Amino acid sequence: MIDSFYLAWRYIVFNRVKTITLVLCISLISFLPFSLKILLKESEHQLMSRAITTPLLVGAKGNSLDLVMNSLYFSKEKPDFISMKAVEKVMDSYLALPIPLYTRFHARKYPIVGTTVDYFEFRQHNIADGRSFAMLGEAVIGVGVATQLNLKVGDSLLSSPENLFDLAGVYPLKMTVTGILKKTNSVDDKAVFVDLKTTWVIQGLGHGHQDVKTIQDKSDVLSRSDKLVTTSTKIKQYTEINLDNLDSFHFHGDPSIYPLTAIIAIPQDDKSATILRGRYLSEQKNKQIVRPKRVIEDLLGNIFQIKEFIDAVVFIVAIAMVLAIFLVFSLSFRLRQKEINTILHLGCSRGTVVQLIVAEIFIIAIFSGLLCFSSLLVLQNFQGEIVHKLFIS
Amino acid sequence: MNRSNTNFVSKIILFSGLFLALNPVVAEDKPLNIYAVNYPVKFFAESIAGDHASVTLPMPADIDPAFWEPKAEDVAGLQKADMILLNGANYAKWLPKVSLPLFKLVNTSSEFRDAYISLNEGVTHNHGTGGKHSHTGTAFTTWLDFSLAEKQAKSVFKALSRKQPKLNAGFVQNFIPLQKALLELDVQLTEIGNALNGQALLGSHPVYQYLRNRYKLNLESVHWEPEEAPTEEQWNTLKALVAKHPAKWMLWEGVPVAETVTKLEELGIKSIVFSPVSNLPETGDFLSIMNENIARLKTISN
Repeated sequence: MIDSFYLAWRYIVFNRVKTITLVLCISLISFLPFSLKILLKESEHQLMSRAITTPLLVGAKGNSLDLVMNSLYFSKEKPDFISMKAVEKVMDSYLALPIPLYTRFHARKYPIVGTTVDYFEFRQHNIADGRSFAMLGEAVIGVGVATQLNLKVGDSLLSSPENLFDLAGVYPLKMTVTGILKKTNSVDDKAVFVDLKTTWVIQGLGHGHQDVKTIQDKSDVLSRSDKLVTTSTKIKQYTEINLDNLDSFHFHGDPSIYPLTAIIAIPQDDKSATILRGRYLSEQKNKQIVRPKRVIEDLLGNIFQIKEFIDAVVFIVAIAMVLAIFLVFSLSFRLRQKEINTILHLGCSRGTVVQLIVAEIFIIAIFSGLLCFSSLLVLQNFQGEIVHKLFIS
Repeated sequence: MNRSNTNFVSKIILFSGLFLALNPVVAEDKPLNIYAVNYPVKFFAESIAGDHASVTLPMPADIDPAFWEPKAEDVAGLQKADMILLNGANYAKWLPKVSLPLFKLVNTSSEFRDAYISLNEGVTHNHGTGGKHSHTGTAFTTWLDFSLAEKQAKSVFKALSRKQPKLNAGFVQNFIPLQKALLELDVQLTEIGNALNGQALLGSHPVYQYLRNRYKLNLESVHWEPEEAPTEEQWNTLKALVAKHPAKWMLWEGVPVAETVTKLEELGIKSIVFSPVSNLPETGDFLSIMNENIARLKTISN
């Protein structure tokens, strides 16, 4: 038996191009269905885990999938904005607790999530280093952001302009990192969390500047009266919030109409959830309330329909591949007829010839299996990121 | 139990768990850790909750709580509270600059937002071609209208009852005498307002807007501090005001310096203290100080 394997091995090594081609074909056709299964399972896990723990989402009427993907996974598709009035409405209903979200801005490539400190308690996140944000301009970052940007508590992080060509836009805000979250194994690891009001400062709804009453440079003041000071755009606006200038920061307009992208609503119980949903169905023309679990189930339903189609295609390709491999082997044996006859003339039995062929197939199968298995291991290692890129971001 | 029933039950458990985790009903034996933004609200909470709450006023006793500037450590303390009682009406100027848990905030004046008094006393400015804006706001000493103070106390009572429903009976028992006392103050001041019958009064600081409106006081305010002697410019402003508003009495937040009292008397203006008691008083409590305020105001009407 060992002799047969030795001879088979020598044959395989001698015909290495043919062997490698066969191993690659078999590995690939085995890898495809398994990899698909792994990726879909991971996507189901990633999508559903947050959807299940997020009972209700309130947002602007429109694409519910965009609302859910943006609010749960901070995807780039932004839903239309709603206002802070919607938070008051949920709060005043006493049916649910609201957590506002404003996920419009980025710091480098990482999303800035404007919310309240309640978000960490809701997601059961703990701070690994430092403390939660407490003052305007402070940020808590996910462990992924800290690692990738090499940031630690006390460092600063600049918000990115929304549009590089918007030269008249608001200044980027330099935020101070006050805390780094423990690893959460979710998109929160790659997000920057700030107080909702800080995102409004980034947007320019709030700002800090030198005291208009004490400006010395006359060219900074266009006109001055008892009740009105008109300044030029030269006036110094602060791009960093610290203890020295915190007092000068202020907001303009009615805060109740300031924008949000969504509200996570946590109902007291199922009955409260139903009543709240009913109110939005009957009263709210511009807003919608969705159950993320239901939206993600619909999305996964579509993904699984595609998977079934891909499975069918893979099955047909696999049959074609098996037939091709069979053809390769049968043609190979015809080409090797002289070699087989020599073996028989040397006194070997037909059984020995069969043993040789089986050994060759076995070795090829083992190599294909190993290649497929190791590829799956690599895939499993990166499945989180692949799924995030394929299905979430 | 079929699958849909199991889902239904598990959803209820999940949502209720989340709700309770974020808005927990505190165990009865553990006093609530409450923070208040000013003394009147602290007094209401302490009067209603009794031993069931420890109510903290986080700012030092010698500053106006509305203009407190908290540090990050102070905010960390507030973030750990079970409940944060706000006055509303844009009272705590520091609120927009800090991060507090939304679920724990209780705006005690949210039910009477329509009754807020708008101010128009700040400098308006704009930046280049941007829109004009001013830093004017809302008068915030809402509790000086005792009908509103009663509503604020009721709001505290409701918040406490929601937090500790099992202690509701005790809260009701404590709230009723407080409510009665506040409404009694309201009646007394209404009578004084009627007796004053439009007599011109001065306020040393613009904090009496709710008192003026509710009790029909003919009161105009300057911008003086009791512990500081007014500048020449401030005296001139007062003289100009008195020329068209011939007041004989000035209401002060605290006891004014003797020099100011003498100089006012030379102008024929007497001083009385009507303390809004925004911060923790050295002696007495909210009700006793308000009773003293009213007694002093009564002397004018007599």
